[in-house]
Amino acid sequence: MSWIAIVVLAVGVAGQRLIGMFWAGPHLARQPILARLADLLPAAVIAGVIVQLTFMSESRLTIDGRLVGLIVACLMVWRRAPLALVVVAAAAATALARLIA
Amino acid sequence: MITGPHHPRTADYLALVFSYFAVGVTVSVAMIEREVSATTTLVAALVVYSATSELAFLAVKDADGSTMIGVLSGWLVASRFGLLAVSLGARYAGPVMERAGAAINSFDPNVGLAIQQSDPQELRRVFWRVTLALMIGWWIGSIVGVVLGDVIGDGRAWGLDAVFPATLVAIIGALVRRRDGLTAALAGAGICCALIPIAPGGLPILASALGAVFALFVVAQTGSGDRSAASAAKPQPSGSEEEPA
Repeated sequence: MSWIAIVVLAVGVAGQRLIGMFWAGPHLARQPILARLADLLPAAVIAGVIVQLTFMSESRLTIDGRLVGLIVACLMVWRRAPLALVVVAAAAATALARLIA
Repeated sequence: MITGPHHPRTADYLALVFSYFAVGVTVSVAMIEREVSATTTLVAALVVYSATSELAFLAVKDADGSTMIGVLSGWLVASRFGLLAVSLGARYAGPVMERAGAAINSFDPNVGLAIQQSDPQELRRVFWRVTLALMIGWWIGSIVGVVLGDVIGDGRAWGLDAVFPATLVAIIGALVRRRDGLTAALAGAGICCALIPIAPGGLPILASALGAVFALFVVAQTGSGDRSAASAAKPQPSGSEEEPA
């Protein structure tokens, strides 16, 4: 990773965050319906991150051991298991799936 | 799920430390494997401060992409933090410098958990406690990855790459117990899934934000965002009710 890449990434991302906090966020908060939209953003965006981390491999959709971990995590969250248990079980299930495959 | 959206417990914070430890190790090992120096790896961990951006950059470089495309991909992936800062900025009240600090430290887990707090003081408290947990885990993990990268080897064999997605599932666990949150999450996931094969790296995650717009539209049509409220109007078989988030 080059130094230019590091600086550009850092400055760019920080700028977007500050704009979100000081301009876009407060603007959305003034309208109830847009405030609701702001509340829903994390669920939508984080779900996107989960999908990318679980199914993406070199710009392609792939199914591998990570899916087993995701299914285990979803089931445990649904059953209201503590976070620590969710994380350890998902890692163990993924490792086991890879060992068997 | 986190043991209660309003009161994450000590065990939850420790689990977040472990989760980000795993993420830090994974990213550092990935960097060291590609013969990036230990210094650059640690500076990137400090300055870029985004595992998914660093991994997106490395993915482009692995495919023989240019540094420029790599940076663009990493930037797109990290742009979601701007969207999360929008969500936080709509709710976060405090001095300017504190809000600036919160903006710079906006990540998936701390924003995802903080916005579940109805009390503004509790929102700030949860945000900064989670942030501290993330920083501790990320830093220890990054250093351990650099120092013991050769010993640890491929973290995937240990299932470490499943830790972060699992953590995020738990983070949004309370949000998706509401109908509008579930709709937003499923729509966001669907959009991301559809775009991964055709869009440049990072864009699918950004586009997943449209899932929130879709959910808002659905809620406007149906008139209720709370699945538990909707369930209350309709008799359910015994034991099938969801508790409100």
